[in-house]
Amino acid sequence: MKDILLEFKVNGQPKKVYVDPNDRLLDVLRDYLDIKSPKEGCGTGDCGLCTVTLDGKPVLSCLTFAFQARGKEVTTVEGLGNGKELSPMQQALRDAGAAQCGFCTPAMEIMVTDLLKRVDNPTDSQIKEQISGTLCRCTGYYPIVEAVKKIKEEER
Amino acid sequence: MTEVLMPNTLAEALSMISKDGHDVLILGSGSDVIPRIREREIEPKKVLDLSGLGSELNYIRTEGKVIRIGALVTVRQIIDNELFKGRLDAFLQAGRMFGGPQIRNMATVGGNLGAASSSEDLIPIFIALDARVKMASIDGDRLVPVSKLVVAKRQIDRRPNEIIREIYFEMPDESSWTAFFKAGRRNSLIIDLINMAMYLKLNIDGTKIEDIRIALNRVRGKTPERAYKTEEYLRGKRIENETIARAQEVLDSEVQLSSDFRASAEYRKSLDKVILARLINNCRDRIVEGRRTGN
Repeated sequence: MKDILLEFKVNGQPKKVYVDPNDRLLDVLRDYLDIKSPKEGCGTGDCGLCTVTLDGKPVLSCLTFAFQARGKEVTTVEGLGNGKELSPMQQALRDAGAAQCGFCTPAMEIMVTDLLKRVDNPTDSQIKEQISGTLCRCTGYYPIVEAVKKIKEEER
Repeated sequence: MTEVLMPNTLAEALSMISKDGHDVLILGSGSDVIPRIREREIEPKKVLDLSGLGSELNYIRTEGKVIRIGALVTVRQIIDNELFKGRLDAFLQAGRMFGGPQIRNMATVGGNLGAASSSEDLIPIFIALDARVKMASIDGDRLVPVSKLVVAKRQIDRRPNEIIREIYFEMPDESSWTAFFKAGRRNSLIIDLINMAMYLKLNIDGTKIEDIRIALNRVRGKTPERAYKTEEYLRGKRIENETIARAQEVLDSEVQLSSDFRASAEYRKSLDKVILARLINNCRDRIVEGRRTGN
């Protein structure tokens, strides 16, 4: 049963989709709109890999019903860059070896972008705090923290 | 669930649940409810989504000494608000350890009160502040002292036609402080083993405890409760090692904590005693420090 008309914006584009009451925002993005960067790691709010921004704030799309996004604006990693070249943030993550298997990378990029939007020169503890809800099993987090510090140095 | 109610005003929401409210689940952010629906722990037929009510239920206001927090205020909004930097430090201490950053952007005050699970960290703080919950219904508002709100695990004193509208409390004066601590197995993303919130007021010359309120979670039936006997013992006492040691004994005999797969009741009790001492000293130090620096 798909009986709710969901009208919202995804990466700047207006979208209209019929959704089931039980569909989560994550399901709509991945299965209906073919936006595959948000991942379902745990589905219970522990891993953070389904992170997208909702009206500018990072949230977990597996803990949000699709209908709750009505009239709102969703951003995923697909909406961060120009789709062709890596942004300076993405390049820095790549250079530092902060993206290995890549499963957490979209969520990490959303969290890093959010931090850099709010804080000019984040400290180590601010960076660690910001990514504390996003699990990575490859890097040990250290390269991610180093990469974020480099991004700001480059901009200075 | 098969039906979603999506009101745009509180009045509309209240009329939607005025009759058959008992089978309607009120949805804040969904961060607590969604996994439980998917696990079939709860199977609501209808859901009433509050996300259209931001303009009415998302506010932090002060009226004289009273601070009013709308039900849709998020944990993040509390941490970021200047009002909570200082004597309301308990909120910052809880907020920093509340889920991860994404959950803090989602979880609402109303949802925390409504979910009333044993890990809802805000409830003990509101109890320590002697806060009141304002329930709205088509018949008008009803006030519930937050200490009476949770009647059993995941059960609160809310009638089927009511929606949590607001919680309010008095700003502690310059002789007081609030503190919070929770213990878990690690620092991030934890469901706590125990938590404790404290409001402490010193007397005029700063030598004795004039007033104190202590709230703990996971007491009898896994509900949050005040430690009345411990409070009574501490009122009027000087803060000395002996007093604290005796207060720890009173607390130990007063609270009945439960065992589960996360920790035994004995372990929880020994944590509680340590945390009691820590919070008393923390509150005292901050009040004294504030007096010295004139804040």
